[in-house]
Amino acid sequence: MNIIEITDLSFSYREDVDALHNVNLTIKKGEWISVLGHNGSGKSTLAKLIIGLLKADSGDIFVDGILLTEETVHEIRRKIGIVFQNPDNQFVGVTVEDDIAFGMENLNFDRLDMIKKIDEFSKKVNMNEYLKKEPHELSGGQKQRVAIAGILAMDTDIIIFDEATAMLDPKGRESIMEYIRELNKEGKTIITITHDMKEAVNSDRIIILKDGEVLAIGETNTILNDKETLNASNLELLLPLKLLYKLDEANIKNEKVKDILWQLSLNK
Amino acid sequence: MKNIIVGQYIPGKSFLYKMDPRSKILALFILMVSAFVFKDITHIIYMLLGVLVILKIGGIPIMRIARGLRPIMILLLFTFTFQVLFIKTGPVILDTVLTLTTINIGIMILAIVVWYYTRRYIKSKFFYMVLVIVGILTMLSLFTPGTVISSSNLTIYEDGLLGASFIMVRLIIIVTLSTILTLTTKPTDLNLGLERILKPLNLVKINSEEIALIISIALRYIPTLLDEANKIMLAQASRGVDFTEGKFKDKVMQIISLLVPMFIISFKRSDDLANAMEARSFVPGNKRTRIHILSWQSRDTLVIVFCLLVLTATVVVRVYL
Ligand SMILES: Nc1ncnc2c1ncn2[C@@H]1O[C@H](COP(=O)(O)OP(=O)(O)OP(=O)(O)O)[C@@H](O)[C@H]1O
Ligand SMILES: [Mg+2]
Repeated sequence: MNIIEITDLSFSYREDVDALHNVNLTIKKGEWISVLGHNGSGKSTLAKLIIGLLKADSGDIFVDGILLTEETVHEIRRKIGIVFQNPDNQFVGVTVEDDIAFGMENLNFDRLDMIKKIDEFSKKVNMNEYLKKEPHELSGGQKQRVAIAGILAMDTDIIIFDEATAMLDPKGRESIMEYIRELNKEGKTIITITHDMKEAVNSDRIIILKDGEVLAIGETNTILNDKETLNASNLELLLPLKLLYKLDEANIKNEKVKDILWQLSLNK
Repeated sequence: MKNIIVGQYIPGKSFLYKMDPRSKILALFILMVSAFVFKDITHIIYMLLGVLVILKIGGIPIMRIARGLRPIMILLLFTFTFQVLFIKTGPVILDTVLTLTTINIGIMILAIVVWYYTRRYIKSKFFYMVLVIVGILTMLSLFTPGTVISSSNLTIYEDGLLGASFIMVRLIIIVTLSTILTLTTKPTDLNLGLERILKPLNLVKINSEEIALIISIALRYIPTLLDEANKIMLAQASRGVDFTEGKFKDKVMQIISLLVPMFIISFKRSDDLANAMEARSFVPGNKRTRIHILSWQSRDTLVIVFCLLVLTATVVVRVYL
């Protein structure tokens, strides 16, 4: 079943250039899809359109069978949670506890229910000992984990991560990726937005954006094997993948080496 | 910079900490009104004693209150002098002639110079200054050797002195009461209390919850912005901007070089924040359930009843005595 269906979506901030042009995309329930693209390719614009923070110039977005309009936008936002790039710019509460509660308060959750959920989800992201802390006492990675807990508490079916790891160090990045994997296993539909191929290789499918247009869309394996497309995408290739292509060009056919490089590319 | 505390809350355990912020705000308001109803110096001194008793049982060190009073010391001194000199009714308490002579003007200048260079070593600068002023005035009135340069009358009337003391005590009471509130209430609780108390304003289309949300976001971002200002100053300093030295024109340029990036970053921030809030289903003006609740206890009722009694008593005293 398709949980998100996007048809012929176009959007422009200014009249002369389209930030997104004729995007078509369907996302199945429970799948993990990566939106991959260079800086300014329109990834964040796509996310903001899906959650109704921007209004499309043309085209339709269906979420769970509901057409996104001004009337349905609030209903749709209850189905989608989004974690943004800058941990400081999405921390609304005065304390960790307040911030996790913010979304639930807006959705009129019962107070006792909120307290239970704060406990449950702060434990899940390992922040249960920081509930009374203020944002300036936390690291970037901790703030991102709080943001994730806040989204999880709202219990949305879909979660979008818009470069949620971009401002973190490798360790913080790895722990967030770990949560994402886990959430996907638990049945959440995940959309990760990134310009880092390394973060895309674990997802089921990849969509590559270039200058606001869909360059390619397909299974992760298929996309990674598509040398021409990747070269055209302006993306930084992973080193093992680069080596693999070079071996191909030099016509070297050592299957064992190729297999190792392929596994490395997939981050396994 | 990181550890900057918004407000002056100090943790504690006394009854003042256990009170509901709403009752504290209300009590403060009622007591302030009482302070304004009093007209008599003896009554207001009783009230001051009462406030001291509150401090004592509330376990608040007097020194903290004194620190709260420090910024308004100069204002207090100014009002006091003004009142003493310009109210000219009632019996005369002090009538003296201040005389400037060649010799005591010299001693006076010497005293001022000594004060100027020694004041940094004295702990209580304010009292040191008052002491020097009183000393000089005493000398000008009693010690008049040498050739007289000029002289003038200084007359202090009882009403002037009483009126001045009265206003001083009233100001001290008001500042002390508000300091008690901010010392014993966390900014977030204070905010929540204000929100609930201002709720009736919803009737005239002022949304107290929104005001409280704005205040809490401002509180939350103060440390972040300070941190940012720090970073920008470092970045500018590494490009040769000197924030410590310079003429007035340089100072203005330095401030501009700090403010412009601060504004740009803040606009981006507020844009992002608005997006994050909307994405989490925030709709301005909509009803929200709240995680924090305030619990009004019998203790709070008791305090308010007590404060109302005080107010009634002050009104009775004012009308009948
Ligand atoms: N608020 C805005 N006003 C005008 N133009 C914008 C705005 N936001 C983005 N753009 C432009 O739209 C295009 C797509 O931006 P978008 O933020 O979607 O890119 P992105 O793929 O998310 O990039 P990044 O990897 O840097 O986050 C860019 O050319 C950008 O300059
Ligand atoms: Mg982006």
